[in-house]
Amino acid sequence: MDKIVVENLKYKYPLTDKLVLNDISFKIEKGQFIGIIGQNGAGKSTLCQAITGLVPLFFKGAYGGRVLVDGIEVAKSNISDISLKVGMVFQNPFTQVTGSKLTVYEEVAFGLENIGLNREEMKNRIDEALNLLGIYRFKDRNPFDLSGGQMQRLAIAGIIAMQPDVIILDEPTSQLDPQGSEEVFKAVWDLKKRGITIIMVEHKMEKIAEYSDKVLLMHDGKVIDFDTPEKIFSRDDLMQYGVIEPAYTRICKAFDIKDSGLYPVTLDRACEMVVKYNEHN
Amino acid sequence: MKSLSLYQERDSIIHEIEPINKLLYILTTILIMIIVPSIKCAVLCMIISLMLLLKANVIKKVLPIINFSFIILISIIIIQGLFNINNKTVLFNIGKIKFYKEGMMYSALIVIRVINILCAFALLVLTTKPSDLIEDLVRRGLSPKIGYVLSSVLQIIPQMTSTMGTIMDAQRSRGLETEGKLINRIKAFFPLIGPVVMNSLIATRERAMALEIRAFSSKNKKTFLNETKSTKLDSSLKYIFIAAVILSIIWRAAIWTK
Amino acid sequence: MSKKSMWSVKFSTASLVLIPAAVGINYIGKLFAGVLKLPLWLDSIGTMLASMLAGPVIGALSGAINNIIYGLTMDPISFVYAVTSIAIGITIGILAYKGLIKNILSAVLCGIIAAFVAAVVSTPINIAFWGGQTGNIWGDGLFAILVAKKFPLWIASFLDELVVDIPDKAATLIVSYIIFKGLPKSLTNLYDNKNEIEQL
Repeated sequence: MDKIVVENLKYKYPLTDKLVLNDISFKIEKGQFIGIIGQNGAGKSTLCQAITGLVPLFFKGAYGGRVLVDGIEVAKSNISDISLKVGMVFQNPFTQVTGSKLTVYEEVAFGLENIGLNREEMKNRIDEALNLLGIYRFKDRNPFDLSGGQMQRLAIAGIIAMQPDVIILDEPTSQLDPQGSEEVFKAVWDLKKRGITIIMVEHKMEKIAEYSDKVLLMHDGKVIDFDTPEKIFSRDDLMQYGVIEPAYTRICKAFDIKDSGLYPVTLDRACEMVVKYNEHN
Repeated sequence: MKSLSLYQERDSIIHEIEPINKLLYILTTILIMIIVPSIKCAVLCMIISLMLLLKANVIKKVLPIINFSFIILISIIIIQGLFNINNKTVLFNIGKIKFYKEGMMYSALIVIRVINILCAFALLVLTTKPSDLIEDLVRRGLSPKIGYVLSSVLQIIPQMTSTMGTIMDAQRSRGLETEGKLINRIKAFFPLIGPVVMNSLIATRERAMALEIRAFSSKNKKTFLNETKSTKLDSSLKYIFIAAVILSIIWRAAIWTK
Repeated sequence: MSKKSMWSVKFSTASLVLIPAAVGINYIGKLFAGVLKLPLWLDSIGTMLASMLAGPVIGALSGAINNIIYGLTMDPISFVYAVTSIAIGITIGILAYKGLIKNILSAVLCGIIAAFVAAVVSTPINIAFWGGQTGNIWGDGLFAILVAKKFPLWIASFLDELVVDIPDKAATLIVSYIIFKGLPKSLTNLYDNKNEIEQL
């Protein structure tokens, strides 16, 4: 069964006239890693918020179509219930620290206290989440004393502890330094390996190409294409959607190094094809 | 980063008492002072508070709290001593300036009353972590949402003050004058406060979403990670407070029947 | 456009997270005014912004929580003045909802109205606690003169508070208004929308 189904989704924020989501439809299977790309204002964040139910339940506004998670229509559910199925990580690590907890350990407990979990189960889940994200050693620190990358991993731990099957990350590394970004990408890949369905909005195309099973290309509130990274990045009209393909793909496009019509999108594949190309000539 | 608090870490029985009982102590003190509005009663209450503060080993930390009100208390003594409407009897004079007994007595009552309330509050704030107080109140039925707001304020203020230093330096290095003529200082206010205020307001949008995703609006009954500790003393304290209020009513009645 | 009732007490998460920010802004305003040695307090910018954004109830709550937190962490006396902060929050919330704060001049006038309300509410507290004084040099100087001239205590105390509040609240509302005008629509819309989802 499809994990997430989006059908003819349309949306306008309150007091605005523009459709930020304009007739969007696609399906996501369980355990897939989906990258969402497109220029600023394409509707990527709004689409993420629509899968969590924040659109329309939190923002209100004008809404049409359906989003189904495990067959349940999010607009007719409530955000707390959906949060047990779909978690979301935002750009700014600071805004995701609740601010009401004095230690990293208690911070992870925030969502679990809200859903009314018993103490034993809570502690088990917190230990597991902190270990998975590699921040168990900071458990007694004040959340605000962490570095950006650590804080963002704490945000992910807070979500993981809720045990959702889907995690959406909306540009999770845009405010982090290179080291912090690497920490977060590694954590995300670990989640994918555990069978969690991942949806990630990201401007670092090398990462999207490396991780994604499928890539959703958006422009002006519409889905332009939804396909494998090779097919998406082999398109010749990416510029007009404000997307620049990974560096390896760009180089191979320049030399027209391709295999059955598709350019390579990862370093390994590009090397392989360049070697073959050299032997051939 | 430190959370905003006057809490003093000590090992004392007062520290272990449930926060709610310390709140009730303040309430009892105020109630007794309203019931028996005499200096004698106020002094008695103060002695009890001071002894408890001594027991909690935080007595030295009370002075800075009283200090906040020090100037206004002094000015009350001066203004009432000089100008109180009932002034008749000269108590003493400094040069030509006469201080009157009636005004001095009136101001003495105000000063003792204020210090009294401050001491009772000090007992709460010096021996209780604000986060423990808030959690205790939430367990007793305060809305968890209001509890969240209260405890997040305690962390947000130190965080904003720490950015304040950075902004001051940044704006000064761009040539902003923060000293000198009043008009310059007024002009400096906007570039200083603008960025912090804008950023913190804009951040509320994402924070609200992040809280929602963590089931902030859940209808389930909330549970707590931390266990409660309740001492034997806690259960009997409520009766002691009630007894104290009854005693003060008897005292008041005794004054009337005299 | 049909607006939500201004007295709605169903707190949205968006308006709840506004409260800590408001209290923090109050604090920062007070600190910067102190650092710049301005002759004003400017310690209710956050409360006024919360009122303008999310209405009188959230404004009042911001004011109350502001004073509770000050009371718990700095000066216990500030607890009793929670009433004054609540009054300021409600006043500005109503004035903003009625659309009366629309330029700098009207901000000054609305600031003066808020100052009157604040003085009316504070005076009984000042009399009960401090025999009528406020602790501000200018205000208390006036108070001393009036008391010496045998004016009734409550008039002396009211004017003591008012002379300090008028410039302070007017200036605070000007600052708040300018900041409010600079906020992005994506933020202000969060509070200003109809509470229902339209079908497309």
